[in-house]
Amino acid sequence: MKGKRMKGFSLFMTIAVLCGIMLTVPAAAIGAGKPIVIGGSLPLTGEFAETGLWIERGMRYWAEEINTKGGLLGRPVEFKIYDDQSNVGKAVTFAEKAITVDKVDLLFGGYPGTAARAVMAVAEKHKMVYISMGGHMKSFQQGYAYSFGAPPLMGEWWYEGFFQWLNSLPANQRPKRAAVYTINNPVGLSLQDCIYRWTKYLNIKIVIDEKYNSPLTDATSMIVKAKQMNCDILFSNGFFPDGVTTMKAAKALGYNPKAIVQGIGSVVPAWVKELGADGNYVFSGTVLHGMLNYPGNDKLNAYVKKKYKLGIYPLYFGFGYAWMQTLQQGVTGANSLDQTKIRDWLKTHKVNTIAGPMTFDKYGLPGPINFATQIINGKVELIWPKNVQTKQPVYPKPAWTK
Amino acid sequence: MDAVLLTQSLISGIMMGMVYALLSVGFSLTWGVMHVIHISHAAFGLLGAYVAYSLLEYFGVDPIVSAAVSVPLLFLLACGVYQLLIKPITKAKEVIVASMILTFGLAIILENVMVLIWKADPRIMTPTYSSGALIVGPLYFQYPHLVGFGLSIVGITAIYLFLQKTYTGMAVRAAWQQPEAAQLYGVNLYRISMITFALAVSTAGAGGISLALLNSFEPHSHNLWLIYLFLVVIVGGVGNVVGTALAGLIIGVITGLSMALLPFQWVNLVTFGLLMVFLIFRPHGLFKQGV
Repeated sequence: MKGKRMKGFSLFMTIAVLCGIMLTVPAAAIGAGKPIVIGGSLPLTGEFAETGLWIERGMRYWAEEINTKGGLLGRPVEFKIYDDQSNVGKAVTFAEKAITVDKVDLLFGGYPGTAARAVMAVAEKHKMVYISMGGHMKSFQQGYAYSFGAPPLMGEWWYEGFFQWLNSLPANQRPKRAAVYTINNPVGLSLQDCIYRWTKYLNIKIVIDEKYNSPLTDATSMIVKAKQMNCDILFSNGFFPDGVTTMKAAKALGYNPKAIVQGIGSVVPAWVKELGADGNYVFSGTVLHGMLNYPGNDKLNAYVKKKYKLGIYPLYFGFGYAWMQTLQQGVTGANSLDQTKIRDWLKTHKVNTIAGPMTFDKYGLPGPINFATQIINGKVELIWPKNVQTKQPVYPKPAWTK
Repeated sequence: MDAVLLTQSLISGIMMGMVYALLSVGFSLTWGVMHVIHISHAAFGLLGAYVAYSLLEYFGVDPIVSAAVSVPLLFLLACGVYQLLIKPITKAKEVIVASMILTFGLAIILENVMVLIWKADPRIMTPTYSSGALIVGPLYFQYPHLVGFGLSIVGITAIYLFLQKTYTGMAVRAAWQQPEAAQLYGVNLYRISMITFALAVSTAGAGGISLALLNSFEPHSHNLWLIYLFLVVIVGGVGNVVGTALAGLIIGVITGLSMALLPFQWVNLVTFGLLMVFLIFRPHGLFKQGV
């Protein structure tokens, strides 16, 4: 009996261990020659796994593409990807490990901004080029010479496009009273800069300005307050879970402001997939979009359509791909894996990415990029600037349908 | 102070608190009766939520109805887990420590299984009433909150009546109070433990479904839920069903009041500060321990 139980237990544990191994198997080397190893970590499990997986898919698509074309500097590329489990501390540990133990040739960018900005310091210490989204403006102002945002994710720029569009409306059509709810972390707080500048300029009064800590388990009180104070624009500066909680409460409590502006949560594919029609009409911003008229976007859209049955590539798929595009141009431009040569080439040359052409300033940042988006009929549409507009914005937001 | 805001916040807080109580009652029971700190309890709750999600998505089965399917399924699964994993460690010298380590591993395995089956994408349970509300004067009773609250009342009452009114329930209580004496009276401790464990996991399933009606969830959400489990059980007293329900209510009232009266960024600080205070002054919880 005991033997049988032990046998069963052993079988169970073996399966469990195999499952674990399956999750961490790196990409197989493709092609001949000693591969160029690109290492680092992504949040493949945990809070940011949804996004991390899309970044990985974008990177792997780039690798697949470049290996088919003969590799980088004539050598195949392969990834050494660790799962940091959405933990900043682990992201730092794995970056150190990739550089000092695995001795990878190149680093890839991580997620989210809190992890990326922590890894930026590690990359700087080891003089390794690190191309990522960074961790908003402050992370790029630390004097790092080896970090680049290509494209970066800048909370400070996130709503620029939205406000520029709002500015284009006649003054009497604009909202008058704003409720601003911000997740209390560096990502959320970086979004406030833009709101404060523009609401002052557009004469929109901020009547509620509150921060909340994650997790936000209930947004009822927030919505009641916004409704009672007649706020006709709601800024929900957070991620997916708190964004969803806020939207559900807004609908349940019949809160119908002229506009709902949401931070990062509304750009992940799950927003439209899971919220359905309730996710519509939310404004946000982006630095990257599959409908932008830059080379490569059509190809990526075709790929995700075939592989994932999506009409357009998800934002973070694009980020993963664009960071690798930049790294690729740095390496081929420098014709070397010497990190300082790659850095110097990137500092002095223009790179072309799916987010557009970029040159980098002393902080490793391109010029401000910002496009306003709105979810219309379940799709993230570009609504501003006009030259990239894919749909006319829907404003004021229609009342909730029961 | 705005009376509507205060009342509305209290209503939401209390309903939310009761959902946490439902999720926690089984956790409290296994801890109290078996001395097993079941770290994967919330992961089983999440599994129940995913099953309900799939039944809703693919077959249009309402989560309340699917609870009738997933709860018994979890009961059977838990019987198997007990026989395979939990029973052997109840013989360990340090059952509490051994159970924590074992069930921590089980939670990781369950999380990875959920990632494999349902992917890492966040999910939202959206039955037709998911964003509706019953409006009474100036107050809104959100349907998902009402459903969660209702399930909690039914679930906790059922557990309470089971323990108080049935022979097996009385045996569970006897096993908790006097294990040796209970054995002398013919109570099979292993059988009682298996039923307790399976019952606990079943309530986790119901709690998971209730919680999934209120918030989005992902395979790692159980880690967050686990924090609330500890909070409720420590406040309510280990193994105390009524205490767990009251702890849920108290936590709900405190959260509701905090959300109405304090800046939002203080809410978690106040709620979890409470845990520290209870641990310092009443390390065994607010209420007397026991089943």
